[in-house]
Amino acid sequence: MTHYLMAVMGAPVTADDFYGYGSKEEMEQSFAETGAFNDQLKADGQWVFAGGLAPIDKTTVVDGQGASPVVTDGPFLETKEHIGGFWVIDVPDLETAQALAATASKACRGVIEVRPFDGLA
Amino acid sequence: MPQYLMSVHGSDEDYATIDPAQMQQMFEDVDAFNQQLHADGAWVFGGGLESVSTATVVDGQSEQPVFTDGPYLETKEHIGGFWVIEAPDLDAALKYAAAGSKACQGPVEVRPFQPEPPAEA
Repeated sequence: MTHYLMAVMGAPVTADDFYGYGSKEEMEQSFAETGAFNDQLKADGQWVFAGGLAPIDKTTVVDGQGASPVVTDGPFLETKEHIGGFWVIDVPDLETAQALAATASKACRGVIEVRPFDGLA
Repeated sequence: MPQYLMSVHGSDEDYATIDPAQMQQMFEDVDAFNQQLHADGAWVFGGGLESVSTATVVDGQSEQPVFTDGPYLETKEHIGGFWVIEAPDLDAALKYAAAGSKACQGPVEVRPFQPEPPAEA
């Protein structure tokens, strides 16, 4: 079995647009579908971790390589789009991970990047 | 307890040109840091990712899923690996990030998870 990261990518969202879902109903429908997807991952023994991240402006970069750490507000990469949240799954192969990513993408209304881990600490 | 993502960024070039002795030191320091996280009860998840060239982008929002080789963001640097930790507050997370940064010899980005991620619904 191999661990894969499934990262949901996109532009920052706000409460004004129901976090990118467009309407309250659509948001609740997506949450329900994502919840069902999560339940299925757990039932199939594929769930390792998942979580949604706080807005990108809550990010801090810490460089601890010098004598005293340098702390900078904001993300490391200055891109318009970021990871909004992610799953870590444990599945037999990349094809399985990609198939699950397609289901997850539909459920969460977002584009997903799949990448294997080369090992866990 | 709040959870925080601590991510490490780098380029394939960085990883390809690192001195083997320096890499060995990094492995040992990161291993010691991981053990400290476990001992403190702060550990949730940690892992290093395969090269970004192994990434696939999956869009499952239309009738047929669309798969695209390569990463979503076309940046020189990408997430090379990350930890998920539990810490009482951001200050505590930043202290872990400083130690993690020293151990892995690179800046560490800290981002909180949403207090109640939809993934736990």
